[in-house]
Amino acid sequence: MLIKYEFLKILRKRSTLIIMAVSLILTAFLFGLPAMQFQTYDQDKVIKGRAGIAHEKQQYLKVSVTLSEEYITETIRRVQKLFEDADNVGYDGNENFLIGDAYWEEIAPKEKLLNMIAKTYDSPNENSGYQKFTDLDISDGAGFYKAVESKIETLLDAPSRGLSDEQKEYWSDMARKVDIPLKYGYYQGWEMIITSFELLMFAVLSICIVIAPVFSGEYQAGTDAVLLSGKYGKTKLITAKVTASFLFAGIAFTLHVIVAWALPLTAFGTDGWDLPVQIANTAIPYPFTFLQTALISVGIVYLILSAMTGLTLLLSSKMRTPYLVLIVLAPVLFIPMVLTPTGTSGIYNLILFLLPYRAAMPEIGKYISYQFGGLVMDVFSVRAVLYAVLTGLTIPLARRGFKKHQVM
Amino acid sequence: MELRLQHLSRRYGTKSAVDDVSVNFVPGVYGLLGANGAGKTTLMRMISGILDASSGEIRLNGRTIQELGEKYYAHLGYIPQNFGFYPEFTAREFMLYMAAVKGLGRRRAKSRTETLLSMVNLQDAADKKIKSYSGGMKQRLGIAQAELNNPSILILDEPTAGLDPKERVRFRNLISDFAKEKIVILSTHIVSDVSYIADTILMMKNGRFLLNEPISTVTDDIRGKVWEVVVPEQKAAEYSARFSVVNLHHENNMVRLRMINEDVPAAGAVMVEPGVEDLFLYYFGEEAQEER
Repeated sequence: MLIKYEFLKILRKRSTLIIMAVSLILTAFLFGLPAMQFQTYDQDKVIKGRAGIAHEKQQYLKVSVTLSEEYITETIRRVQKLFEDADNVGYDGNENFLIGDAYWEEIAPKEKLLNMIAKTYDSPNENSGYQKFTDLDISDGAGFYKAVESKIETLLDAPSRGLSDEQKEYWSDMARKVDIPLKYGYYQGWEMIITSFELLMFAVLSICIVIAPVFSGEYQAGTDAVLLSGKYGKTKLITAKVTASFLFAGIAFTLHVIVAWALPLTAFGTDGWDLPVQIANTAIPYPFTFLQTALISVGIVYLILSAMTGLTLLLSSKMRTPYLVLIVLAPVLFIPMVLTPTGTSGIYNLILFLLPYRAAMPEIGKYISYQFGGLVMDVFSVRAVLYAVLTGLTIPLARRGFKKHQVM
Repeated sequence: MELRLQHLSRRYGTKSAVDDVSVNFVPGVYGLLGANGAGKTTLMRMISGILDASSGEIRLNGRTIQELGEKYYAHLGYIPQNFGFYPEFTAREFMLYMAAVKGLGRRRAKSRTETLLSMVNLQDAADKKIKSYSGGMKQRLGIAQAELNNPSILILDEPTAGLDPKERVRFRNLISDFAKEKIVILSTHIVSDVSYIADTILMMKNGRFLLNEPISTVTDDIRGKVWEVVVPEQKAAEYSARFSVVNLHHENNMVRLRMINEDVPAAGAVMVEPGVEDLFLYYFGEEAQEER
């Protein structure tokens, strides 16, 4: 009964409806924008919007294959052959590239795949594209999966990463769990989702704004005196307030997630959900599909939401007005947005990757890990533990804040 | 039932809002009088268990409120000063919500809600949002929520502030109806509110009790010191400056003054029966005059 009324108290405010409406529209805009702006090309013209997406999907049908060593070797060989014919090759003063039908018929339909393969042979910080294939000796086969292994090893050994032997071992072990050969296919919708999780932080902020008055609003309105002098004012009422806040946060955020996922998945389709994330970047060590990565990432954002809800309730129980709560909360959520990582190691970067805004970014290809003695944890695990612990700490403190509140 | 305050104090820094107050409450209506800043609200908040005492304790039937916990709050009904509502709730929703806070079961909550809304004459407006209510309607809803759990201790802090005279009479009658077999502590600086319904008068000044007397004998101290005199208008100002004037009433070109003085203040002055308001002025002098 109390939970129902506490929930109604949150929901009935006009400000709640306005904030949620604005936040949902903003989320729809941010997640719908890539679909609206999407464009691709064929030999004659630019193809925009739904037609462009349909065209690209059609192109991908030809490359929805298993990336066996033979397939990759053959793919590289075909590109090398194209380069052998001088009529196919252009030069921009810097590098050779394919032109005319050779490009539009052989490269353009699968350029993303070719670039992914080429990047595997690139050294770190190099991004040569399909032109790389001309440098490769494939007389004994492409050795693609060996190249993947070697690339990961090179990345892990890079001094700038500052990884310990235990951390390198952790990532190598994880990378070995990736199923090979990889299956390739169209995955645009999921890629869009996975690279945009931080945009959901606007939804988190909106939810925090709505629940900021849960305790402090009672102090501001002068209803604290009546509530705290009621039989359950210092016990069950607090539980009801916390439960209603989390219920609201969960429902409101799920609505945002539905909007955020529905738009790209409707526009680009759900294709690729079961494909491995390595087809976007072979150096990714996590043995996940796109759907698994999206679910784990959204799970982390739910935990961030949970901790931010707990923190909002804690501040709300301690501060006399909801405005003061927001003055403290907004910087916590958005200062990390303007801070840029300088690498993937060092205290500053390791902390930055855990702060709310950054923590919403999956960062699956950066080998970010934390070592506690002999224990190595990847960034997903540390974020999950951190935000679960924060939630666990803030809720009892918020309860105590309201229970001990003095009406003066 | 006995509610006992023992050496109760509340300090804010070096200032004592309530200073070593001890009193026993048994069922009856207590009118708590005092000028603004006398410590009435602080005292009531401590009794309501929403403000901790700096020292001293509150016991209900021998047990401290800390020992009693929820059981103590189950005895309480409280209308604080400047009580806020939830504007988007209807009166019925608000009552059901407060009933849940007070631990009433669903059926009892519904029946008490209907009974009390009817008693405070809000049944017809029960499904209207509180934001559409007048000040008087809100105050009636306030007392209705305080009565939900049929409390044995009813604490009313300035419940008639801001009400027009008709609403105040209505409110007083409601409190009288609810007061049977309860300890009712009614704080106000509107003296007439308590003089009609209180059994005992408590007067507070600077955080301490000046007086704790039954209403029947509370004015005994000033019996023989309250006078009325009719003087020309030009003399009224002079009398006001010299004596404690409780009331001033213009009658044609003359002014009828009611004043408190140890001796006959002027020729023609007539000794009159003292009232609680006279007593209030006697104790609070200029402080009370400023408020009035």
